[in-house]
Amino acid sequence: MSINQLTLDQIKGLALKREFFIYYIFLTVMLLFTVTLHDSGFFSLTNFMNIVRQTAPVTIMAIGLTFALAVGHIDLSIGAVVALSALVGAILLQHVGIPLAVVGALSVGLIVGLINGLLIERLQVSSLLITLGTMGVITGVARQITNLESVPIIDQTFTAFFGAGELFGVPSLLIWTLVIAVIAYVVLTKLSFGRHLLAVGGSPKAALAMGIKVTRIRLYALVISSLAAALAGLLYAGRLHGARYTLGEADLLTVIAAVAIGGTSLFGGRACIIGAILGSWLMGMINNGLILSGFSTNEQMIARGVILVIAVAIGVKELKNG
Amino acid sequence: MSTTRKNKNHSALKSPNIVFLSLLYILCSYSFSLSAKNIQEIDWSKAANSSDINLSAEQINTIKDKKLTAALVWHGASPWINAVSRGAEDEFKKLGVRVIAQTDAQYDPAKQVADLENISALEPDLVLSLSIDGISTKLSYQKILAGGAKLVLLSNPIPGFQHNKDFAGIVTDDMFGMGEAAATLVAQASNDTGKIGIIFHDANYFITNNRDQAFRKALTRYSNIKVISEKGFVKEHETSNIAAAMLLQHPEIDTIYVSWDTAAEGVIETLRSIGRKDIKVVTHDLGVNNLLDMAMNGNLYGTISDRPYDIGKTMARIAAGAEIGIQAPEFTLVPFDSVTHENIASIWHKAFKAPLPKLLDLALKQ
Amino acid sequence: MVRTALDQVALEVRNIRKSFGGVHALQGVNFTINKGEVVGLLGDNGAGKSTLVRCVSGIHSPDEGEIIVNGHEVNINSPLDARNVGIETVFQDLAMVPEFNITENLFLNREIKHKNPILRKLGWLDKKAMEKKAKKALNRLNSRIPSFEEQIYRLSGGQRQAVAIARAVNWGADIVIMDEPTAALGVEQSAQVNELINLISSQGVAVLLISHNMQHVVETCDRAVVLYQGRSVADVAVSEVTKEDLVSLITGAKTAA
Repeated sequence: MSINQLTLDQIKGLALKREFFIYYIFLTVMLLFTVTLHDSGFFSLTNFMNIVRQTAPVTIMAIGLTFALAVGHIDLSIGAVVALSALVGAILLQHVGIPLAVVGALSVGLIVGLINGLLIERLQVSSLLITLGTMGVITGVARQITNLESVPIIDQTFTAFFGAGELFGVPSLLIWTLVIAVIAYVVLTKLSFGRHLLAVGGSPKAALAMGIKVTRIRLYALVISSLAAALAGLLYAGRLHGARYTLGEADLLTVIAAVAIGGTSLFGGRACIIGAILGSWLMGMINNGLILSGFSTNEQMIARGVILVIAVAIGVKELKNG
Repeated sequence: MSTTRKNKNHSALKSPNIVFLSLLYILCSYSFSLSAKNIQEIDWSKAANSSDINLSAEQINTIKDKKLTAALVWHGASPWINAVSRGAEDEFKKLGVRVIAQTDAQYDPAKQVADLENISALEPDLVLSLSIDGISTKLSYQKILAGGAKLVLLSNPIPGFQHNKDFAGIVTDDMFGMGEAAATLVAQASNDTGKIGIIFHDANYFITNNRDQAFRKALTRYSNIKVISEKGFVKEHETSNIAAAMLLQHPEIDTIYVSWDTAAEGVIETLRSIGRKDIKVVTHDLGVNNLLDMAMNGNLYGTISDRPYDIGKTMARIAAGAEIGIQAPEFTLVPFDSVTHENIASIWHKAFKAPLPKLLDLALKQ
Repeated sequence: MVRTALDQVALEVRNIRKSFGGVHALQGVNFTINKGEVVGLLGDNGAGKSTLVRCVSGIHSPDEGEIIVNGHEVNINSPLDARNVGIETVFQDLAMVPEFNITENLFLNREIKHKNPILRKLGWLDKKAMEKKAKKALNRLNSRIPSFEEQIYRLSGGQRQAVAIARAVNWGADIVIMDEPTAALGVEQSAQVNELINLISSQGVAVLLISHNMQHVVETCDRAVVLYQGRSVADVAVSEVTKEDLVSLITGAKTAA
């Protein structure tokens, strides 16, 4: 094997790496919309801010789910956690100050994550079934405690901090997204904890043999996933000046699609935070572009599906050839 | 480079999975279009007003003596449906009718079919119901009717069912009146010279379609009002993004009409986050979040509220009356109210017959 | 060096017993390994080889018996315990994360942390230091590895084995247990692994080699311990027996003299 060949192979290998796939899709779709919608204001800072703002909760959920997927678990309860956390936060705000309300809302995530994790490890049942079950329970609780009414929030500080506010002209939702993204990126790629997460997902046997506390790591991962969803709930509550049991309901599939398209394996061992973020932004961008395009609702649905399938199909084919 | 491809099964497993998810995604987006009857066939001029439906003291006593039972078979659950139920239950109490079952189909026709089958075992005398999908639930309704029950429907007709034979009557909102009233509010909000954005329910659904249609028609009467942009939505959570896109392309829009309250929440959220306090929103139905926005002089200018409590009351009355041979017209319309900042509290009481939510009360007293 | 070292016992196993429910997998196993010695552990399927390996490497806890390392009795209840007393295991499946690269696998759960005390507390990785040490460890074994960035699943079987062995000896292990290291390898790669085994034993490491392959045992081992139905039935110097002798010991046709 000559030197030339090696470097060429390496370059090719790098370019086709699964993690880079999302960049191509993202740029291609962006280019597509920029060209076809050149007179519709798609390519403008205002519009990109729209997309980032709209997808902030989904992005945070996607980042959280990446941790669960990294250890080989799926977490279907995140959508329901969003609703319950937002509701608990909104209800608490009527009685106590912001810090306690936030703690209360986040502890929804903590508790659900712990319950998910403990049930999965104790019963040795797949995370899919357990979280499907807890999803139902949480949704039921969310409906029950509010009697299906929405709970408004009038605290301006809260809504500015979590929702519509700005800091030095930067929307608070963008700040939240970036802060969480940086933390998650550091944890997954720079810290030994992240290494262990991926090891547990990539090969539980190897992790166990090397003395990693597999059960505990899995539990942490589910707690992180749930906590992120609880934070997403607060962002929704801040944005909407209130909470309702339907929040997050429609996000689950978007989040899973975003994470998967972003290069995180649905079977553990490979996680990509930047991919998860770009994946969620991609979903938001497709949505936004199609609305701007003036297609009817039905045409939008078809186009959205077609774009997704084509993007994924091309990506998978490229990878196989590589 | 020798590569033993241990990852082969990995990628083989992965690709169908992603594709499957994407397909699932599309399917899920699709599954929410409900069917309804073609409304052109209905002659609305023959419809009665709910104030025409009355029972004399003598008739009430006859009903009381029969010791009837009733079942409420709803499509879903919401504060609005709770108010309908309350109206029906209060009226039934006056008539000595016992409510023996109440169901929530969670907007799933299959669940409603199962609910109806379960209830037919109880053999109720009266059934009040909203059918999610007339075609798939028809057989199950027939099963209950075979037991001699009297059926009163909320809004959605069932294809092929005959008035006075299969059902005693249909009670519904005055959808056309509501649409027109919304147009009047839009005109008020924009001083008859508005640049309007319409965000409408883009699915086949009886009430929302009729209201949106009536709104559009009424709006043509105002020659200085222009509809700048119209965009449809299928699910409530989509409206936030739609509003953002609409205003990106047409920042000159000054008034937005949205099909109903919860869908309007997303629109108002977008207006807040892009700092457009000047744009006014008009919609239908009452919701605490948006009423708070209105109470605090936010974007919501006004909303058209129906009277769910009265709907329930009227349905109960028609059903009980049918049991003693009183025939009601095929359609009975329940009136509505235009709600703006001044009359929030009084309309809330009228519509729900329930106390004003605490936060809303506080906001109004400020 | 070898001569003097040979006299020091690195690992002694006394009367190990282990049952799973009603199955008595190990019913009294005894043997010793000296420093720098390569001992083959032989036995038919179900003789208890894997269970024994798992007991010594901390995956299972034995029901009874003692494990003595360098003259001290030790308690091994987890893989970490085993590693802490100087026993490293190269598992049959190599216990590697296929998606991790060589360095990441070498330092799995033994990551070198950043020098800054605050970052260290957070578990911040010092990737440069690990890469440097990884190169050293593999150089020690004279292995030809294409790139340290390469993910494990892209390596050949022999290369993977080399990485697994490097990981075991990298930690100054006194005892390395290898479970069927050549089972999945071709002739040439098996020879490379044998070279590695000789190399590390010459560096004073005691090696316990589990193998089916008689040829392999004869070529690399100093002694052979034979398990039969959960007991150690023979402990012989390889140079003093024929392959046929070993086979009859394994099948129970013959008992040790």
